[in-house]
Amino acid sequence: MVSDLLFAHPLANAAGSLGFAPEPRLPLEWGQMGAFFTNPVSLQPRTPAHGTHYLPFPGGFLLHTGYPNPGLEAVLRRSVPRWQRSPLPVIVHLLGQGSDELASMTLRLEAISCVAGVEIGFPKEAGVELIKAFVQAACGELPVIARLPLDQADALAPAALAAGAAAISLGAPRGVLPLPSGRLLEGRLYGPALFPQAMAAVRSLAQAGFPVIGAGGVYTPVHAQAMLAAGAFAVQLDAVLWRGD
Amino acid sequence: MATYPGRVSEVRLGLGGELQALIACPPAAVPPAGRYMSARAPAEADAPLATPLFLTQPVQGGFWAASPWPPSWIPGTELVLRGPLGRGFDLPQSVSRLALAALGASPARLLPLALAAVERNCAVTLFTTAPLPGLASNIEIFPLDALGEALSWPDLLAIDLPLERLPSLRTLLGLSATQLLPCSAQVLLDTPLPCAGIGECGACAVPSRRGTRLACVDGPVFSLEGLEW
Repeated sequence: MVSDLLFAHPLANAAGSLGFAPEPRLPLEWGQMGAFFTNPVSLQPRTPAHGTHYLPFPGGFLLHTGYPNPGLEAVLRRSVPRWQRSPLPVIVHLLGQGSDELASMTLRLEAISCVAGVEIGFPKEAGVELIKAFVQAACGELPVIARLPLDQADALAPAALAAGAAAISLGAPRGVLPLPSGRLLEGRLYGPALFPQAMAAVRSLAQAGFPVIGAGGVYTPVHAQAMLAAGAFAVQLDAVLWRGD
Repeated sequence: MATYPGRVSEVRLGLGGELQALIACPPAAVPPAGRYMSARAPAEADAPLATPLFLTQPVQGGFWAASPWPPSWIPGTELVLRGPLGRGFDLPQSVSRLALAALGASPARLLPLALAAVERNCAVTLFTTAPLPGLASNIEIFPLDALGEALSWPDLLAIDLPLERLPSLRTLLGLSATQLLPCSAQVLLDTPLPCAGIGECGACAVPSRRGTRLACVDGPVFSLEGLEW
């Protein structure tokens, strides 16, 4: 239920922006955050993507990393003690390769008392049926947030919520940019240039009555306030956190 | 983690023809050779990312920083500097002969190490394709082509290298597939550092003998022996 996700403060980090556990030494206003979202975690370790990973464009940048992570058990070994010390509720972002895998990962997390919820990401080709299957597999004792690309959230949110997701969060959309060599690089897009698109997605989902965590191009307090005013119950910050503001 | 006020006070052409910016800041905000400061201009609220600034030369009241930086930064731009971040060059006391190899766009990021070595009375040789008029006369300069023949000379080889060229480093050094480097080496990898150590985003991943390392926190200077190359 979305009531399980009503944080003390409406701001949180987006998965992929602050690592696997809160790091008190980082130059962030932790007291203004309501939850901590981990970097994406897969069952098995994932190595980084090869080749060029970063390309800037006016107002933002494209990032292609492959979501490297050491795998669920290694993340738990390293991070659970830090999650237990966290003053913020910890929500683990899961990258599943299939429904069975997601179900087993969620079951593993249910045994860890300091985990407040799970957020699940989807493969880029995910359609309605896969979204439903993944959400149903992840649903158990923990509230499930379905992270949908903000450019597809309108179409996919009803399926995710019908399958049991407590809320929708907005993930970075994908894009393609040419490298100097002429080769095309595909990746996720970040930066303030995305804000109008993200804002439209929040407004649309909120008007449909869907519980939504806004995200995408939020770079100023005014951006965050606008998303909350449009009906988001929380707002995630991503690359703006890397500036160390 | 400490933050400091800074200001762009001058922009010049460096010795190798590249742009350099004079950053006025407290002494604690001057990064050691190979480490970096994450810099942003508070007036630019919509700048997508901070900018990593590397030392090329320390001066009274600040330091000269290597390019690139946002084109909107001009003399007078106020900055906030976070750091120093990452791991930089280590110049052991035992080193008496230092060779520098600029295998990227410019030797600028190697120059502070050269100056530190000269202060210690080390013999310093720089291999580069960049024209360097006016460099200290106690630093010998050779073309990059001569590097392969000189590898047995230094106690320490310091390299500035774009990360994407790491797989071809053996060729760049003129080494065969089985030939060992006859000296110890440290490499400053040139790669984007979008999260500047905050997010473990993986964009600056470096292949090492102990798995993946991140240039933003584990580097950007690495012992070459520890890397897969």
